[in-house]
Amino acid sequence: MSDSRDAAVAAEPDGSEGDGTRPSGADRNDATGSDAEDGNATGAAGDGERNRNATDPAATRSAEPSTEGNHRREVATDRWLGIAGAALALVGLGVLVRQPSLVLAGAVGVGYAVYARTGEAPTPTLAVTRSVSDEAPAPGDEVRVTVRAENAGETALPDLRLVDGVPPGLAVVDGPARVATALRPGAAVTFEYTVRAARGDHEWEPLTAITRDVAGARERTTTLDAPTAIACTPELAAGGDLPLRGLTTVHHGRVPTDVGGAGVEFHATREYRRGDPLKRIDWNRRARTGELSTVELREERAATVVLLVDARESAYVAADPDAETAVEASVAAAGQAFSALLDGGDRVGIAALSPLDCWLPPGSGTVHAARGRETLATDPALAPTPSGERFYRSLWLRRFRRRLPGDAQVLFFTPLVDDTAATLARRIDAHGHLVTVLSPDPTTTETAGRRLTAFERRQRLRTLRSAGIRALEWGDDSFPVAVAAATRRWSR
Amino acid sequence: MSGEASAGVASDAGSASEASGDESAGTTAGDDALVDFHETDSRPPTVAIVASLAAAGVAATAALVASPVGGALLGVAALGLLGGSLRSSTRVLGWGAAVGVVGLAVAGYRGAPAEALLVAAVGLAVAWDVADHGVGLGEQVGRGARVRRNVAVHAGASLLVGALAAALVYGVSLAVGGGQPVAALALLLAGGIALVSALR
Repeated sequence: MSDSRDAAVAAEPDGSEGDGTRPSGADRNDATGSDAEDGNATGAAGDGERNRNATDPAATRSAEPSTEGNHRREVATDRWLGIAGAALALVGLGVLVRQPSLVLAGAVGVGYAVYARTGEAPTPTLAVTRSVSDEAPAPGDEVRVTVRAENAGETALPDLRLVDGVPPGLAVVDGPARVATALRPGAAVTFEYTVRAARGDHEWEPLTAITRDVAGARERTTTLDAPTAIACTPELAAGGDLPLRGLTTVHHGRVPTDVGGAGVEFHATREYRRGDPLKRIDWNRRARTGELSTVELREERAATVVLLVDARESAYVAADPDAETAVEASVAAAGQAFSALLDGGDRVGIAALSPLDCWLPPGSGTVHAARGRETLATDPALAPTPSGERFYRSLWLRRFRRRLPGDAQVLFFTPLVDDTAATLARRIDAHGHLVTVLSPDPTTTETAGRRLTAFERRQRLRTLRSAGIRALEWGDDSFPVAVAAATRRWSR
Repeated sequence: MSGEASAGVASDAGSASEASGDESAGTTAGDDALVDFHETDSRPPTVAIVASLAAAGVAATAALVASPVGGALLGVAALGLLGGSLRSSTRVLGWGAAVGVVGLAVAGYRGAPAEALLVAAVGLAVAWDVADHGVGLGEQVGRGARVRRNVAVHAGASLLVGALAAALVYGVSLAVGGGQPVAALALLLAGGIALVSALR
């Protein structure tokens, strides 16, 4: 627990239900603040004295002094439904058959019925601290999360169940993020679990506390906000040499073009014109025929590239439930392409085909590299789980085209699991931005339906290729291997 | 869990991501992509099942001493409670408890002594209560979580209430003397209920 971000929260009783038997929040804050260990800011608030939160030193030390938004409701569990009926039936039978022992047994049942009717689900006043072992883990690292909940109230909690709000993008790999216990006033429960870090910014959702009365007849659900976050930003792996298409800027770079001029690769010969440099004159031909001619070389220019990642909800597919999604594969590949292209001197931007807006304009330089890494790692549009909002294709396309520089080409990372992606690729290509489709393969071949899906996807790739769009797919083999294999196939 | 076991289907599989892949190219990867550890094991915790079985065993033994038929019915009730726990079904638990109540009635009808019947009644109530509590725990926190203290407190409270109630009624019945007619006992009970409900 080298690094921890904690917050302390307490649920407050409803104003309507506050029975006034609890002491003021200040006493409690002093008590819990004094035993705060290793820098964990601990605070508690209670009894609807929300104003105290702002002024109390213990509360202001916590990251989020506010405990607003706690959602509470008390419901009857109806567990004991019918116990009174069964008890009275026994009593009645005992009277009918004149057996006093039956009446006594029925009386015990009546005792349980009374037990079920007394009591009320307590409102928990909990000081919750959550600490993580690493706030900035690398992807795949295991992060130990420790949650401590102390009963800062005056009432005992005979039945307390805590369910931590693990961020949806993180998988719990060890120990459930839940516990059930009973807490005296002042007692605390600590539970630990391990999550596997995944790319992105992950913020914990509020802890859910469920309390029941002793008999379990009434139940109250409370959410306790204890803000914790981890940021997992992967290093951009240096990718291989990514072949670009011949849409370039006027600046020098490394994309061979069909423009004759200075360069290294032979392009054409033409008649000598006055002023041509001496070293480009074809002296062999001069010796053979006596004519002066000039050798033209391919100019190598820099390109403007926009990496477009398909992050619509339909792109969050994987070959099996435990595998990484196509979006993850796309983002990883885009990261490799990003660093490779930047190293090659091209201007690179990032966009997401997603309901959320994500746009990093093409640029170059180390600041831009850092910004690109940040975008790929933590942009909400590229989050490890879908956002759930609706995607409007035509709106998105209009906005994307307005932003796209005229000389930009597009590297489109998409699993191609629906026709929308293929259509968009063709439309962007038709508008003059040369498109290369790079497609992680999420399909499997176990059943007929899956084979059909794989076939449909292959058909889309074929259609794209026949429309003159470069397409590359990679499945189990890594992205650089697939690029290297495809580069040999592609002509310029 | 069947949805999670079958790979590659565009399943909902209890994943909170609510991803509705429009084309089933693969599974929409849920947020709980678990390899070796399943947090969603919603079976009741073992300690609750064991405690419930122990209480049901005590109840069945006590009834068996008094009346074989009643004891057999309480044995059936214990099996029903076990089955309900294993299937995480409160409905099965309810039926099990109902069979147990019938067993109590039969044992009482056959003239079981009050002591045995009281032990059987408390045992049955605790057994059902703990089993039902376990099912609720399984739903809310799952089998893997730490629940021992919670179950112990719940079972202890349930046993305490039962013991107090049994001691009270047994003491009252001794105090008023065995010669009283049964109707007097029932009227006494009705008076007690009225008193309690008036005090609340």
